[in-house]
Amino acid sequence: MNSAQIEIQLIASLVAIACTIPGTFLVLRKMAMISDAISHSILPGIVIGFFITHNLNSPLLILFAAFTGIITVILVEYIQKTGLVKEDTAIGLVFPALFSIGVILIAKNANDVHLDVDAVLLGELAFAPFDRLLISGVDVGPKALWIIGVILLITITLLIAFFKELKVSTFDAGLAASLGFSPAIIHYGLMSVASVTTVGAFDAVGAILVVALMIAPAAIAYLLTTDLKRMLALAISFGVLSAISGYWFAHWLDASIAGSITTMLGLIFLLVYLFAPSKGIIAVMYREKQQRTEVSLLTFLLHLKNHNEFEERHVNHLREHINWQKVRAKTVLELATKNNMIIVENNIVSLTKKGDKFTSKAIDYIITNEDAQIEDMKDDFFLFRG
Amino acid sequence: MDIQDYFSLVFSDYTLRTITLGTAILGAVTGMLGSFAVLRKQSLLGDAISHAALPGIAIAFLITGAKDSNTLLLGALVSGLIGTFWIRGIVKKTHLKSDTALGLILSLFFGFGMLLLTFIQKQPNANQAGLDKYLFGQAATLVESDVWLMAIVTGLCLFVLLLFWKEFKILLFDADYTKTLGFNTKIIDILITSFIVLAIVLGLQTVGVVLMSAMLLAPAAAARQWTNSLSTMVFLAAVFGAFSGVFGTAISASQTNLSTGPVIVLVASVFVFFSFVFSPSRGLLFKHIRVIKNRRDLELHKTLSFMYHIAETHDNISHPHAIKLLNNFQGYTKSTLQKLVEKDYVKLEGKMWRLTETGFNTAANLYTKQSTDDE
Repeated sequence: MNSAQIEIQLIASLVAIACTIPGTFLVLRKMAMISDAISHSILPGIVIGFFITHNLNSPLLILFAAFTGIITVILVEYIQKTGLVKEDTAIGLVFPALFSIGVILIAKNANDVHLDVDAVLLGELAFAPFDRLLISGVDVGPKALWIIGVILLITITLLIAFFKELKVSTFDAGLAASLGFSPAIIHYGLMSVASVTTVGAFDAVGAILVVALMIAPAAIAYLLTTDLKRMLALAISFGVLSAISGYWFAHWLDASIAGSITTMLGLIFLLVYLFAPSKGIIAVMYREKQQRTEVSLLTFLLHLKNHNEFEERHVNHLREHINWQKVRAKTVLELATKNNMIIVENNIVSLTKKGDKFTSKAIDYIITNEDAQIEDMKDDFFLFRG
Repeated sequence: MDIQDYFSLVFSDYTLRTITLGTAILGAVTGMLGSFAVLRKQSLLGDAISHAALPGIAIAFLITGAKDSNTLLLGALVSGLIGTFWIRGIVKKTHLKSDTALGLILSLFFGFGMLLLTFIQKQPNANQAGLDKYLFGQAATLVESDVWLMAIVTGLCLFVLLLFWKEFKILLFDADYTKTLGFNTKIIDILITSFIVLAIVLGLQTVGVVLMSAMLLAPAAAARQWTNSLSTMVFLAAVFGAFSGVFGTAISASQTNLSTGPVIVLVASVFVFFSFVFSPSRGLLFKHIRVIKNRRDLELHKTLSFMYHIAETHDNISHPHAIKLLNNFQGYTKSTLQKLVEKDYVKLEGKMWRLTETGFNTAANLYTKQSTDDE
């Protein structure tokens, strides 16, 4: 590994961390698409800033472009407030318009601007180490590293300083407001951090990767935990993991680093989406299947309790009466037998004492429909736990 | 070439005619289907789908190695559909919210698509140049067969829309009711979503991945401001979309260095802005005028009822009083007083005013009417 490779991985990792922190809060606040809007609509800000400063890495340009990001948020909120269209439509109207202005500005001034729309969307991480920051002639490292480092430092400081406020306002905006934290300040603070991060990172990794790094690690972590601190930590680790593995994947494939990092994030997301312990798709489907069986069992027991006649309780009759398929009927019968709720004698099914008690309780529950009761019931009897 | 040249050339010049027709048809079909997306609160779905279509284009190229636009669009269609249904899966089966799901699929698919595109660019295949036109779109690459394809899809779409109009409409406004009526909501839902995906994919070549969502949203959002009826909205959205396409093409053709996609989007945005401001029933301008008018009415009433209270204490209701008695607090201004005079509620005599009979009665009724309203 040569020094350029180390620097690229370092930049990618720092970008990942810097994006993940505001991204986590955006995802929790259901504003993930705002990051997409910001990442597109900073384009005119960057172009105009570039006309003024003639330097893509100038802090002034970053501030200017970040300001465009804030304007986007304000515009979206203004349109929402008029009530003419729904929230998501407002987002969808604002950013393409701003982005178009940016594209046209670039196209009209193609000769003066060394700016390429592709580069804005995708960035080119591979070139980042070549743009060095020189302080009085001494090479202190790539500019991108410094920019994103400073942004990350600010983000972390703000995160630590306002963690409590952010947490409260994210999960209970009403409580936060009544405690005296201004929701507007926290909201716009978060938006400003998101904008600055987007602008600072776009040059190195492109607008799309910024969006991916803001949303994906947070979403992956959200599938694995419900604790905010753990979620942040997990999200950051996934971000860094995908940044580094993505770099090597791109190295091997000789393709875009940004695209490759995103692909890694996609793979991680796919894995977690499928296999996450309690919220993954497989776990959810398994749970749903169990619940279906539980409901079937309950129906079955209720049927038994309602009928004393032998013909109603004959095994074959049950099948046609409740209209279950063979397999499901068998599962339910087995489950009930295993839990000592029924006994089968000469193909006649009858409730045991335990089954009778359980069914009575279940009827009580269905009549009163109070959550507390079914929870107790589950503890008393249940079922899949042994 | 300026705009006038454009309009004189549009009927004779092959390229211009093709592009104009193409963008007009595209605008019409996206506007039509966009109405449904907007009303179903799926506005950003278009954005996600158009980004999600990119890997499909790249994969289709990798498999066939040819740049035939129909095959590429087929790939885009498949990958757009996968993205759409994955978004649904995420929203339905996990606790991630729809905005997160949209953002995830959008960025992950697009990133993957970019990876493939850059990978393709490194391949020793001379054919690969020009794939990136799908990023921002190039209306200039439209040929007659593309326009035919668009026209056929639009016709098909129109046919299905008319055939299932009732079902689409009821699903849009009351999904639960539709289900209880016995309609298969899943199939209707899939049908309309697939058509939205199809329309987006068609537009990729012209407007590009990034701006396609605006084509879907803007005409529909503009049309929504002018009407409360679905059929009118769909029709208006189609008209707005078509005009955005034509004007956008005209403007970009009359200037150098202007790509068509962004101009079309900007024209559509102008339509939206105009509708937001000037729509008679919902527009901001008329809403504001109504607010001002109401405020004035209220102040007029306030002055009148204040006068009424003074006049009440006198035997002769038309007893003159000094204007000085009135002040701003009662909503008095010179113009309100003038208005009262015009309505013949009040008579002015020098620096004195007195209530007329009609004025007194109106004020009395005003009072009772207000109090009953309040109850």
